[in-house]
Amino acid sequence: MWTWKALKQREDGLLRPSAFRRGVVSSRASSLQLSNAKEFISLHRGAINSLEIDSTEGEGRYLLSAASDGTVAVFDTHRPTSSSTSSCASIAQHHPLFHLPRAHKFAISRALWYPVDTGLFITASFDHYVKLWDTNSTQVVLDYKLPAKVYGIAMSSIATSHSLIATATADVQVRLCDLASGAFAHTLSGHRDGVMSLEWSSSTEFVLITGGCDGAIRFWDIRRPGTFLLLDQSLSQLGTRPPLLPTPTPSNNESTSLPASSKSSSSTPILPAQKRRSHKKIQLKPPTQSSHPGMASSQNRATAHYGAVNGLRATADGFYLLSSGSDSRLRLWDIESGRNTLVNYEAMSIQTSKPIQLAVTPDSSLVFVPCLASLKAYDLWSGTTINTYRGHYESVNCCFFNAQDQELYTGSNDRQILVWSPSIPAATQIEEADSKGGITSIDQDNWSD
Amino acid sequence: MAESSQSKSGGKKRPRSESEGDPDADADAASLQSIQLENDLNFTDTAIALQMMKAQFPKLDKVVVRPFILRSQLYSSVKDRTQVDRDLESLKKEAVVRVFKLNTGKDDHAIMFMDDYLAQMENAVKRYDAKDKQLSDVFDWFKQYVIKSKTDVSISHPELCSLLSNGGDVTEKHVTLLINAGLLTRQLIDQNLYWFVIPNIGSILKGLSQGRKELLSLINRTKYKEMVLANLEKKRLRLSPLDIRFHIRDLIGSGLLKTVQSPIGLLIRLSRD
Repeated sequence: MWTWKALKQREDGLLRPSAFRRGVVSSRASSLQLSNAKEFISLHRGAINSLEIDSTEGEGRYLLSAASDGTVAVFDTHRPTSSSTSSCASIAQHHPLFHLPRAHKFAISRALWYPVDTGLFITASFDHYVKLWDTNSTQVVLDYKLPAKVYGIAMSSIATSHSLIATATADVQVRLCDLASGAFAHTLSGHRDGVMSLEWSSSTEFVLITGGCDGAIRFWDIRRPGTFLLLDQSLSQLGTRPPLLPTPTPSNNESTSLPASSKSSSSTPILPAQKRRSHKKIQLKPPTQSSHPGMASSQNRATAHYGAVNGLRATADGFYLLSSGSDSRLRLWDIESGRNTLVNYEAMSIQTSKPIQLAVTPDSSLVFVPCLASLKAYDLWSGTTINTYRGHYESVNCCFFNAQDQELYTGSNDRQILVWSPSIPAATQIEEADSKGGITSIDQDNWSD
Repeated sequence: MAESSQSKSGGKKRPRSESEGDPDADADAASLQSIQLENDLNFTDTAIALQMMKAQFPKLDKVVVRPFILRSQLYSSVKDRTQVDRDLESLKKEAVVRVFKLNTGKDDHAIMFMDDYLAQMENAVKRYDAKDKQLSDVFDWFKQYVIKSKTDVSISHPELCSLLSNGGDVTEKHVTLLINAGLLTRQLIDQNLYWFVIPNIGSILKGLSQGRKELLSLINRTKYKEMVLANLEKKRLRLSPLDIRFHIRDLIGSGLLKTVQSPIGLLIRLSRD
């Protein structure tokens, strides 16, 4: 009903078209329900670990799913392959376009589309291999052998000067694999335990964010060695943006965290002097020898979570980072100041053994978190629970929000991929069922692409 | 605090007006015990909630412990959790309260007022009879230099030594003394980091985790996994020295129980998920 009035207002010029679009998109995104018009027939025989829709401009159409039995499947989300007719409604069924039964020997933890187009996709598995596949011939083009099981991979979608796949393994080092040359480009070391999740920055093509099993979140600039920022959960700011006027912070809070020559301008310059005065009689280890901003923090033990960091997601504007940990907390970090914004997302219980995939709507209003057997949607800024989506029988592992159609796809241990779409008003359904001679939910213009 | 609490809670009217009258009355310690839990579940200010819960801390006969509040209890009382976190952060920085991480469960934190903690520390130090009198200076250094300046829940070994050395010459024996007295604990993951702890609290923590399990199993055994709050409050837990109101608040705040309004009154239900 909001839409009819808003349409009239748009016609009259009282509402701008972009505001109208935003309103429609956000009202659809907050009214998701288990879809009764669409379903994916998944042929996977193992838990579904990863779901991803390709990010080609203007058309996010193909859904890539990977499961614990080593299989990969691709679905077309726009065009169904058949439909099941029942008395009052027909459900469009989407069978996989192809299903690779033995893509890897062990479980696949993540499958990604090549960011530029859907001609390639990359899979990473617990059998220590990262493989690059050609979509049309479904053959392996390149593969990389890693020293330990791979928990996650990421490729930057805004990269123009490099085509690196960052891999997170049970080994403490993050390896960057180069697509162009087929070899390893570099290795980022600094984590003290395996790395479970990683993400490229959505604003710069050279910054990688990794979350480890030790609970630390590190920011790496791949052009330099070392971490330039480590997120510490005890450093916080009250409010989602750092305060305009510098508030006097107790100096001891800053002395162990950001290195003296860090990027943020809020660290006071009197810190090194105070530290030196207190070294009267005790011989300590010398303070971190930072020759340049990237090298510090090998001594830094700051943790972002009290358990492993098993999910990372940056907002589309590149300002904030969401991290979920096995201590069942979701934290929102302000990337520029590196501080915890202390937004408290109401009680959730996150599974501890596997990396999970979080989803954020592109206008940064909602975050979807898999919590055991249900999926919860929280308001990003206030932390209140907007909705709980219960439909899976076992723990949900991954979710993906399709911004084009405002649909949410979730995959879980019960081998199903569920579709959650904005609830269609009852009037439309009755009209569709009345029409004779066939299914109206399928697009009749099958030839247009 | 009583006058300011009255003016503060009076200024923020909420639709559930029957709970507004209570923070005013609660400042009076004598009438606290008679107020039903049902009326106490809505607050608008974290500090008022802390004061109230400190006053309602159960009297323990075997162990002498100053009142502490669990973070999940605060969440159950104040609606906006983000505001609670932010208020707690400012209270921590002003050194009004101190936060400790507990080892029961995933994300348990205990909040204690600064003067209570210092009193508890004094008791613990008095009870712990240090053999070497020279080393016992470390307790004063700890109080003066470390507690006042480090407001986090944990501290690293180099920083601890540097802060203590403001008082005098620090050796490993001093740190051992602090650990033995129960003021610091080593972290399991990292050898060089210590948690701050509340001394002499071990038996209560054991009672806390056992009491939680007992309360959850109590509700689990009912046919529909729910109980009327008034009936639940009358029960006594066998395994925990803390009273049942403490546990109910804690479990509501951590999301394992939820409250439902019904024609009978407030129901406590096991949350499924």
